[in-house]
Amino acid sequence: MMKKFTALMLATVMTATLAACGSNGAAGSQATSSPSEAGANGGSSKKIVIKYWYAFGDKIEEAKLHLVEGFNDSQDRIEVVAEHQGDYEDLHAKVQAAFAAGNAPAVTDLESSSTGVFARSGMLEELTAFAERDNAELQLEDFNPGLMGNAYVDEKLYGLPFMRSTPILYKNVTLLKEAGLDPEGPKSWDELEQYSRVLKEKGKTGMTVPADIWFYEALVAQSGGKMLSDDGKSAAFNSPEGVAPVEFWKKMVGEGLFKIPVGDEAGATADKDWANQLSAFKFASTAGVNGSLEIAKGNGFEMKTSFMPANKDYGVPTGGCQLVITAKQSDEEKEAAWEFLKWMTSKENTIYQHKNVGYLPTRLSALESEDLKAHFKEFPQYKVAVDQLEYARPRPMESAYPEVTKIIREAIEKSILDPKTNPQDAMNEAADKANKLLNK
Amino acid sequence: MTLWAKLRPYGMVAPAILVFSLFFIYPIFYMIYLSMFDWNFVSPTKAFVGLQNFQDLLSEEDFRKVLTNTSIYTILTVTLTTGLALLLALWLNKRNIFHGFVQGAIFSPHIISLVSISLLWSWLMDPEYGLLNWVIGLVGFGKLQWLSHPSTALVSLVMVAVWKGVGYNALVFIAGLQSIPADIYEAASLDRSKPWTTFTKLILPMLSPTIFFLVIINMIGSFQVFETIAIMTQGGPINSTNTLVYYIYENGFRFFKIGYASAAGVILLIIVGILTIVYFKLLSNRVHYR
Repeated sequence: MMKKFTALMLATVMTATLAACGSNGAAGSQATSSPSEAGANGGSSKKIVIKYWYAFGDKIEEAKLHLVEGFNDSQDRIEVVAEHQGDYEDLHAKVQAAFAAGNAPAVTDLESSSTGVFARSGMLEELTAFAERDNAELQLEDFNPGLMGNAYVDEKLYGLPFMRSTPILYKNVTLLKEAGLDPEGPKSWDELEQYSRVLKEKGKTGMTVPADIWFYEALVAQSGGKMLSDDGKSAAFNSPEGVAPVEFWKKMVGEGLFKIPVGDEAGATADKDWANQLSAFKFASTAGVNGSLEIAKGNGFEMKTSFMPANKDYGVPTGGCQLVITAKQSDEEKEAAWEFLKWMTSKENTIYQHKNVGYLPTRLSALESEDLKAHFKEFPQYKVAVDQLEYARPRPMESAYPEVTKIIREAIEKSILDPKTNPQDAMNEAADKANKLLNK
Repeated sequence: MTLWAKLRPYGMVAPAILVFSLFFIYPIFYMIYLSMFDWNFVSPTKAFVGLQNFQDLLSEEDFRKVLTNTSIYTILTVTLTTGLALLLALWLNKRNIFHGFVQGAIFSPHIISLVSISLLWSWLMDPEYGLLNWVIGLVGFGKLQWLSHPSTALVSLVMVAVWKGVGYNALVFIAGLQSIPADIYEAASLDRSKPWTTFTKLILPMLSPTIFFLVIINMIGSFQVFETIAIMTQGGPINSTNTLVYYIYENGFRFFKIGYASAAGVILLIIVGILTIVYFKLLSNRVHYR
């Protein structure tokens, strides 16, 4: 009897333990609250302490921390505490959980295409009134118009462009010269294919490129297509323009001209292949210019950047993050956060982050500055992304878009990995699934 | 009996009950409650949708794929871990320096953080630069895609889980073996029992509580697999390694569908609840308790 009872108890405990783990995805995260900033709401003599959460390490982190330090030293009323939160996905998940627990950071990085879902859920403070009040200082019209598409949701301002990017083409000029190819190219998909054929004869891969949604968005734009319909209610990527990139990739992989690694390490593999001179080209964010220059120097090859090759025309999505203020902060904290936002996005600081990381200079006045003009002369690799902005478009911001991107990525990987899968069929199937989500 | 004496036991268990209710009971009910809403965790309004989330889940092809993946992963991991651990334990059940060293070596993965292990194996399994492909290249075989191909990704994850778990399992088995009284072996050898007979008729029955314990623990652990997947594959390629807990995380925190994720959580609760009860019903009859 006793054994039976013990067994039953054990079963209950195990089930309960398991259930608690299962619910981590749902309810468990409420337990993650930490002590709130003591003294954050203290008297006027006390400093206001606000939290700023950011993504990514290495050069990006160094630049962000440098800017935060500069802000803290520039005045004595506000203290910003910066905290690293992993990549954008980790960061978003943590901000969401912290917000639900009433413990969100006052300021956070936010990947540009996620502005929609965050703003519509009421997690973001609308910045329109702040911007109007302080426009003499802020000069909203000074921000590059090509970067403002993701700053507005339903015509309301929610974010200021901070470390914004576009994907660009990185070229190993040394390899191209050895193969007798003009290092100014390739300018179109056809040229990219020809270049890759020549490189293959030399035992190299043309390009290692992950089937990343961001690059796919770029190739769709280059083909003259769209990801979603204008009202955002239905998929548009199963149009001929949306299927063309998949067919192009499938063909290039099939002939051994491209390598398209899949899985979580795909991006890293592409970088390694390029750094080790196995492939001549890579697509990557402009955020990598500084780092890639160092790699090229270290591995003894010359590197250039250029526009992503055109199909019908050039085209890229913008990416990167903007700074936002989370909702439900006290007025005092909001003001402090706003001060911080203005500092981080100022002309001087956008120049600093551009030179030290490679993200786009967000302000037109920065582009006009003598400082950057001299910089572009010395390192033309930095200028490409700025010029390419002419062809840039915002990323879709529908609430269901993160899930839609997963569906698209699966369809692309399936088309490439499975010789029998027809890209058009795979994309149609993905579009059906996406439509259900977008229509909700 | 004074009032205090009557109340004392309750007072003593109160902290445990409180913690248990707060962190186990309350989340379960909150999850069940949330599973009937369409909500993103932060917006002020929740839309009540009844059982719609469950209907969506069960008609979702991806979710069936996730259930299949989880089952395959669990079956493979549990059989391989327990089986290998038993063999190792039989071999290592001797007291000398060499066997002690091997025992320590295979146990060491158990104490390393699963996150470090995942990163390490990601590198080892890199199709282009990984050590594993280099080694099988030396032996003369072609490259394996490991985590980068839908047909091998899940098995690769099983490999990591077995590598991590087998040491702990072997240790528990060794403890089980050493608790078998020496006089039983003596009696068997006096009866000239063959090694195989000794194993099947003596060791296995005497070990059955240990086996039972390990199978249950491993099964529940495998059903909850998350870290390796989050770090090594994120459910890909093409959903081939997406398992229940990762699916719940993905829907809850990447797609902001808390209601839907909770519904999947409820299904996980039901499945594991049933499995646990079935296991205890079926196996308790066969287990040899001394």
